[in-house]
Amino acid sequence: MRSTRRRFVAVAGLSAFAGCTSVLDRGSEGEPATTAESSTTESASVNDEAVPTAEATLPLPMEPGELESLAVSGGPPKDGIPSIDEPSFVGPDNADFLDSGDPVFGVALNGAIKAYPQKILVRHEIVNDRLSDRSVAVTYCPLTGTVQGFERGETTFGVSGRLINNNLVMYDRATKAWWPQILATSIPGSWNSDPGTSSLREFRLVWTTWERWRELYPDTQVLSTETGFAKNYGSDPYGSYNPRGGYYANENMLFEPLEEDDRFGRKRVFMGARTADGAVAFDKSTLLEERIMTGELSGTPVVAVADRRLNTGYVYLNPDERTATTDGSTVQMGDSSYEPNALPLAGVHTFDAMWFAWHGYYPDTDVYA
Amino acid sequence: MRESVPPGRLGAAVSRTIAAATEVFRHPDATLVVVGTAVGYLLIYLYALGHIAPGLGGFDVTVVSGALGKFFKPELGPFSFTPVARVSVGPVTYLFSLNTVLGLGLAGLVGMNLGLTYLAWRQPAACGIGSSSSGFLASIPAVLSGTACCGPVVLIVLGIQASGIIVTAFQFLLPIAVVLLLGSLVLVGRQIDPARL
Repeated sequence: MRSTRRRFVAVAGLSAFAGCTSVLDRGSEGEPATTAESSTTESASVNDEAVPTAEATLPLPMEPGELESLAVSGGPPKDGIPSIDEPSFVGPDNADFLDSGDPVFGVALNGAIKAYPQKILVRHEIVNDRLSDRSVAVTYCPLTGTVQGFERGETTFGVSGRLINNNLVMYDRATKAWWPQILATSIPGSWNSDPGTSSLREFRLVWTTWERWRELYPDTQVLSTETGFAKNYGSDPYGSYNPRGGYYANENMLFEPLEEDDRFGRKRVFMGARTADGAVAFDKSTLLEERIMTGELSGTPVVAVADRRLNTGYVYLNPDERTATTDGSTVQMGDSSYEPNALPLAGVHTFDAMWFAWHGYYPDTDVYA
Repeated sequence: MRESVPPGRLGAAVSRTIAAATEVFRHPDATLVVVGTAVGYLLIYLYALGHIAPGLGGFDVTVVSGALGKFFKPELGPFSFTPVARVSVGPVTYLFSLNTVLGLGLAGLVGMNLGLTYLAWRQPAACGIGSSSSGFLASIPAVLSGTACCGPVVLIVLGIQASGIIVTAFQFLLPIAVVLLLGSLVLVGRQIDPARL
């Protein structure tokens, strides 16, 4: 059924462009996306505590103003893709809309254990939620395959409708600053011309399958399909993950990536980690196979360890180059054993990302595959 | 000096089209063409838009709160509006939005185009091939306007890399479709002589 639909859309869409070429040619390619809303800009700083920001600012691939000029309209207007602002949750037994292999984005933090199904987030991209007493935003960009958690303070985040490097550009509803998701750093945009440059406080969400998450956290809560919106959560407009297909599996792009690189397939998944000093990426499938990989992040030794319970990985700074080994489930360092997510090293926020997205934003990244 | 001013060519063509449109519904076979085409088109339009698609299963009707206020709220792209109700019937999920109303209007135009084309084809001493097929040709952009509502997602399916221009162009598809459909309606309708049917 899906392929039939695709075929129709493909044929119809192709003809659409043929028919509209004369109109298109009079357009203005390359202009930054703007709407009527863009005429009114403010310049509230994100540092006025409206949005919790981190002490260290993450690296940007270019000047903030240059990034703004690369923002393109992805089609939907501001909040056209609506964030979920009043999420409700069900127990695992009531999550019968999930198949065991469906991707979920899990978090176990502050005593809260929650799973956010990809099939719901693909329609909303942002969930403004609370983890116990902490206000958070759970964010997902389908085009770059990135899931990132941010602290949001008393404000909420929304979907701006713009894309940079094919990546979701969020905006906060307090200062209206733009926040490219992967960069997690404020840049000027249509509604705030001078927000300053600060990075969000992040927390880890694990991209795993419903089966694996539920096995590790049987008491987990699951984001309900009762979101307050009339959406069809049974159909993913971009492709599918269970099994992998469509956009998620092919080389097609919506917009040109910031940087082309032919070392790896565009959609190959890497575990990326970055600090103020630079970035590093480990091929996810290689990491899951080898269990432990070592490398450098801008000259500082790092170690990546796989967590095969959830099929994910973690990256740690390892300046003293301590030796890590594994018996398959735990990691041995010195005389002690540790869970893969709890090594006695400085962890670096790590998340899944498609190669083109990571390399586009961090062209100087160290990479291991 | 003229004694009477003849109606403009366009005015005459429109009058004739209206007469021909009325005539369509006097012929059961032509009516069937209109209704059949309109229903088929509407289904394809909603399918292209993703408002009829495989769903999570089960039988359920959900209406969002404040539906009236959200009915005109734009959603994923130009002429794409926020669904305010979800109807799940087994494997199929239908989303109700302003697009169903827009789709009905377009479907009516496409149906009338094909209905008139059918009448022109049936008419003794039929008009030229070009004119009788114009209604069908004009229906193509109308069908495409359904995909326009999908926004750039359609580009992903096609593997076409988008640009600001292409995304902007989407907003023109539906108005273009309406203009072309109305134009072709008059083009075909003016060639039908109700007296000869």
